[in-house]
Amino acid sequence: MSATTQPHGIIATFEKTPDLMRAATLVRDAGYKFWDCITPFPVHGLDAAMGVRRSRVPRISLVGGIIGFCTGMSMIWYMNAYDYKLIVGGKPFFSPLFAFPVSYELTILFTAFATIIGMFVLNRLPMHYHPVLKYDQIHRGLDDRFFIVIETRDPKFDPAATRALLAQAGGVDIIELAE
Amino acid sequence: MSQSHAATAPSAAPLQPAASSYAVAATRALIIGIVGLVITGIGFFAAGDAQAFALSYLAGLSFWIAISIGILIWILIHHIFDASWSVTLRRLFEQWLPNFKWLALLFLPLVIVSWIKPGAIWPWMDLSTPLHGGHGTVGDDILYQKKSGFLNREWFTGAYVVFFAAWIWLSARVRKASFTQDRDGDARWTFSNRVTAAFGIPIMALSLTFASIYWFKSLEYHWFSTMYGVWFFADCARGALSIGVLMMLWLYRNGGYKGILNNNHLHSIGQLMLAFTVFWAYIAFSQYFLIWNANVPEETFWYNLRELNADGSTNQWWWVGLVLLFGYFLAPFLYLLSYRNKIIHERIRFISIWILALMLVDLCYNILPAIKGGRGDPHAFISTNLIWVLSTVAGVGGLCAWTFLRNLPAQKLIPIRDPRIVECLTHHE
Repeated sequence: MSATTQPHGIIATFEKTPDLMRAATLVRDAGYKFWDCITPFPVHGLDAAMGVRRSRVPRISLVGGIIGFCTGMSMIWYMNAYDYKLIVGGKPFFSPLFAFPVSYELTILFTAFATIIGMFVLNRLPMHYHPVLKYDQIHRGLDDRFFIVIETRDPKFDPAATRALLAQAGGVDIIELAE
Repeated sequence: MSQSHAATAPSAAPLQPAASSYAVAATRALIIGIVGLVITGIGFFAAGDAQAFALSYLAGLSFWIAISIGILIWILIHHIFDASWSVTLRRLFEQWLPNFKWLALLFLPLVIVSWIKPGAIWPWMDLSTPLHGGHGTVGDDILYQKKSGFLNREWFTGAYVVFFAAWIWLSARVRKASFTQDRDGDARWTFSNRVTAAFGIPIMALSLTFASIYWFKSLEYHWFSTMYGVWFFADCARGALSIGVLMMLWLYRNGGYKGILNNNHLHSIGQLMLAFTVFWAYIAFSQYFLIWNANVPEETFWYNLRELNADGSTNQWWWVGLVLLFGYFLAPFLYLLSYRNKIIHERIRFISIWILALMLVDLCYNILPAIKGGRGDPHAFISTNLIWVLSTVAGVGGLCAWTFLRNLPAQKLIPIRDPRIVECLTHHE
């Protein structure tokens, strides 16, 4: 590894789910921020062990929903009561009652858009390359091994101390990952 | 970060904690029940208007009937979907079910009055009841004549017997299977309950729909709405979920549910509460919107009655309608969107009580305007009728809570040998 490029981080291997959970708790409590677990299947409770907060996507969804509702109401008002006044079925030019079904549909549609887009943006998707993919054992993370990666950009990162922490947490094959 | 993952195997969790705390609460509930029923009894003699009193009683009683129907349906839905998160809640619901016999007994006076004094409660039972506006009598009314094959006392009474018998029978079936499984641990009880659910759900759908038509909708028998049964179902479902939350939180505070109830259970039930808030709004709005849009007098009179007096002035029911729109839909909808409001005990307890209160208002909105004064205007919402509604709610509710609390110690607090009990105890998003 050349001295000019900083490595991406350090990766450690764990054999069993409880090992990973325990290690995740230790890394969390050591105060690391830029790190992740790689598991072959969803591990219930891992988000808590990692100290991951609840997703912020619902807030984006709410904004989408409100925009959708207002779009529906104002669109129908603009079309039927302002731009081209039209009496339908003896009803007023505008009433929230008949605008409601459309607004409601647009609320759902825009909420769905906001949720999908919000999820992609917050997860930085699509992501076609990730440094951990260079690790020749990474495919085991889809099969029978668990990994913890701690990135060098983490303010608490220290080549020796971080390596020691992972070793203490029970990690084996602790390796530096190239960028 | 949540502590939602703390509930691993609750090895030390008491499966049947001190029964004495239940006994104290049961006695308290019984006292409330008796006081409520005594006040209602006073109303029977004190109330000037017999129909006003009877319909107030009906509204109060229906509150608990709706909750009990909802509870039975949730149990059946739990089984048909092979749900795992609600196994512990199901046991609490099962312990509520014996209340159907009390509810049947408390409904019986209304049926008896229908035979002794026909037309005193449901005007169509007496063919000589005059119609408002001098349009002859019920017997002359073509709209009644066409509906008389359904709207007659014999069928009404038969429906009362058949519906309550069906609810009591289905309750007994799911209870027996569940309690037997506690002892023998045989998975076939789970399958047997799934079969019960498969035929029980259509039975519930039909019975609750026709019950709501006979008991509430027929009070204004000229009116028609295909949404009516679904509206009643929405109330049943919402009431049962709210009571379920209160049961679980009460048991948690009392100690029996420590280590059993976790945040994810509350999150799941909170999501259902949110979903059924939207569901109620959807059907209530659709009913209003279709009638408003079609603007046919045969249908609009039902809402006119709930907005305007004969002289065109706004009556109290107009405000009640707005309270339902904003209080029964918008407020709980916005409130329940939040994750924290669904899992913090005080907050979800608050919204459960709120929904129950508004559900009672919704039942009143559907039933009480059928009580009409001299000019055909409905009695006001805030009137002596409301006293009898509330006393009946307290009386019947106290009695139901008493039965529930007395039943609880008789069986395991959670179905310990249900095949999905571990999944339930470790329920995770």
